[in-house]
Amino acid sequence: MASLEERIDALTEAQLRHGLEVFRSKLRAAEAAYLNACVHCGLCADSCHYYRTEPALENVPARKLDHVAAAFKRHFTTAGRLVPRLVGARPFDRAMVRAWLDTVFGRCTLCGRCSLNCTIGIGLPRVFRAARAALAAMGLVPDDLQTTVDNSLVHGNNMAITKEDWVDTVQWLEEELQMETGDPGARIPLDKQGARVLFTVNPREPKFFPLSLQASAKVFWAAGEDWTLASDPGWDLTNYGLFNCNDEQAGRITQNLVDAMARLGCTTLVIGECGHGFGSARWEGPEWLQRRYPFELRSVLELMDDYLASGRIEVDPSRNPKPVTLHDPCNLVRHGGISEPQRRVLRRSVAHFVEMTPSREQSFCCGGGGGQLAMAAYKDRRIRAGGMKAQQIRATGAEIVVAPCHNCIDQLMELNKEYMLGIQVKTVAEMVAEALVTAGPSPSEGKTTA
Amino acid sequence: MDQPLHLAVIAAAAWAAGTLAWVWLGVRGFGRRVLLAPPAGDPAAGVRYAFTAAMLPWAKESVRMHLPSYATGIVFHLGTFAAFGLLAATVAGFELPPALAPAGAIVMLAGAGAGLALLVKRIATPFLRGLSSPDDFMANLLTTSFGALAGATLLHPQLEPAWLVTAVVLLVYLPVGKIRHCVIFFSSRAYMGAFFGYRGTFPSARQGR
Repeated sequence: MASLEERIDALTEAQLRHGLEVFRSKLRAAEAAYLNACVHCGLCADSCHYYRTEPALENVPARKLDHVAAAFKRHFTTAGRLVPRLVGARPFDRAMVRAWLDTVFGRCTLCGRCSLNCTIGIGLPRVFRAARAALAAMGLVPDDLQTTVDNSLVHGNNMAITKEDWVDTVQWLEEELQMETGDPGARIPLDKQGARVLFTVNPREPKFFPLSLQASAKVFWAAGEDWTLASDPGWDLTNYGLFNCNDEQAGRITQNLVDAMARLGCTTLVIGECGHGFGSARWEGPEWLQRRYPFELRSVLELMDDYLASGRIEVDPSRNPKPVTLHDPCNLVRHGGISEPQRRVLRRSVAHFVEMTPSREQSFCCGGGGGQLAMAAYKDRRIRAGGMKAQQIRATGAEIVVAPCHNCIDQLMELNKEYMLGIQVKTVAEMVAEALVTAGPSPSEGKTTA
Repeated sequence: MDQPLHLAVIAAAAWAAGTLAWVWLGVRGFGRRVLLAPPAGDPAAGVRYAFTAAMLPWAKESVRMHLPSYATGIVFHLGTFAAFGLLAATVAGFELPPALAPAGAIVMLAGAGAGLALLVKRIATPFLRGLSSPDDFMANLLTTSFGALAGATLLHPQLEPAWLVTAVVLLVYLPVGKIRHCVIFFSSRAYMGAFFGYRGTFPSARQGR
C-alpha cells in the first residue's frame, strides 16, 4: 500500500473536493461558530500537553485550529474569499492536507483540555473530528489506526482475537475465579440469555491483562450480579471509529453492541473501564446509528459505586495500604461526565487516596488518547507529550496509579518506563477486588440478583 | 445628528450590525445537531456555568497562569465598551456630564494602553507572532486607536472628528476580521457550555455538584 505521503501526492482535484465536502457535511452551527471565533490570544498554549512538553508554534492549539480554520474561511466565508491574506484564509490543497494530517492526527489527542481554557470556549476536538473525517474520506487515515478499525469490522474486536481464543480465555479465567474465591459456583457467564447486564471489555484484557477481567468478574460475583459476556461480536467495547472519524464504520462497530444486547435479551449494557469505549458507546453511538438505544447503558464504575452505596459489596481499605492516585481519562471524565463514581469507590477501597493536580475535567491527557496508541508514526511525540502526566503522577507520591481505561493504562505503563516513575498501574476493579470482604455464605449461593 | 460624520457613523454602525447579523445567521445556517444520546446533565446549567464561574481564575488554568494578560484583556475590553458607549451617546446628542469626563477618559485611555500592551506582546512573543495574521494587527490597531481617541476627545473635544473617522473605519472593518468575535464569542461559549452541560461535565464537580 502506498505511504500517506504518496497518497497525498496522488490526490486528484476531485478527491480534494470530496474531502472538503465531507468536512463541510460534518459541521453544524457549533463548529461553524468555533471556526469563526479564534482571536489568537494564545492563552490556550499552556493548556496543551503537546505544547507544555515541546513549546513549539505547531503545538499551540490555536495554531492547530488555524490550519483547519484557514481552509474553512477560504471556502466557506465571504471575507476568506475576498481578502484571504488579511484573514489568514488558505485553499484546501495538498499542502493544507499535509498540515491537517500532521495536526489533527499527529499533534492532538482530542482531549479537549484547550476548550475549557480557551478564552472564547472553542471546542477544538469537534472541529478536528470533522477534519479527520475529511482525511478519512480521502483515504488518509494512518494505516495502523485504520487497521485497528478494520479488525473490529472484520473480526468483531480490534485485536482480531478469534472466538475460540476468547472463549478459552474466559473459561480459564472462570477456573481462576473459582480458585481465588473458593466458590465452585463462581461463574463468568457467556451468552447467558436474559441476564440483566451485558458486560463489555477491552480486547487488551483477554490478550494482555486477564487479571483485570478477573477482577471485574470477582466484583460481579461478590455483588451477586446477574451478568454475562457475549461470545460473538458485541463483547468488545472499543470503537476506534471515534478516532478515524469514519462515522459509517463507527456505526457498524456500535451495532455489534446493539445486536448483542438484542441477541441475549439483556437490559443494561455495561461498558468496562475504557474512556473512549464509554465515550463512543454512551455519547456518539446513538448519533452514529441515528437512533436511541432500547436499553440502559452504564459505566462499570457507576455499577461498582452503586454496589458499595447499597451494601451489595463490602470492602476493607486496609487491604490496599499503598498510596493511590487516580488518572482521569479524557473521554470518560471531561467528555464523558463520569468523574465522581470512581472517586467514591476508591475512597472506600483504598487507605490512602491522593488526587492529582489538576484533576477531573481539568486533568491532563496521558498522551495516549485520540488513537495515538495506534499510530506508530507519532510515538515519539506521544511519549514526550505524556511527560505532563508523568509530572502529575510523580508530584502525588503515589505508588499505584488507577486508570479506568485500558488505552490510558498502556500509555501509563510506557510512561512508567520512560520517566522511571516506579509505579504500578491498575484498574478500579482491581483495587475493589483486592479490598473485597466476602465473609459468610459464598456470594454465588447467598445473594440474590437484581 | 445632522453632522455628516454622525451620519457616517450611523451608516457604518448599520453596516456592522447588518453584516454581523449575516455572519451570525450564516453560522446558524449550518444547522443544529440533534442529539439522540440521553443527557447526563443540564445544557442550560452548562451555558450558565460557561459564562460565569468557568471564566474565573480558580476554574480556568489559562487565566491563573496568565493573570497579567487576562487583566490587560479585561481593561482593553472595558475601555472599548466605554468608547462605544460614548460613541452612541455622542451620535444620539447626549453629552457626558463634565464631572464624569476625566473618569471616562481614564477608562478609555487605560483600555487603549492595554490594547497597545497586547499588541506589543503579540509582536514580541515569537509564538504569538507566528500565530498572527494581518487581521490580528489591524483589529488591534483600529480598536486601540478608537479607544485612545475616545479618551482624548473627552479631554480635548477638538479631536472629535478624528475619533469619529476612526469609529467609521472600525465599524466598517468590524465584521471582516476577528472583531466579529463580539458576536461569535457568545455563540461559541454557549455551544461549549451546552456541550459540557449535556454531558454532565459542567458545572464542574468542584463546585459541589
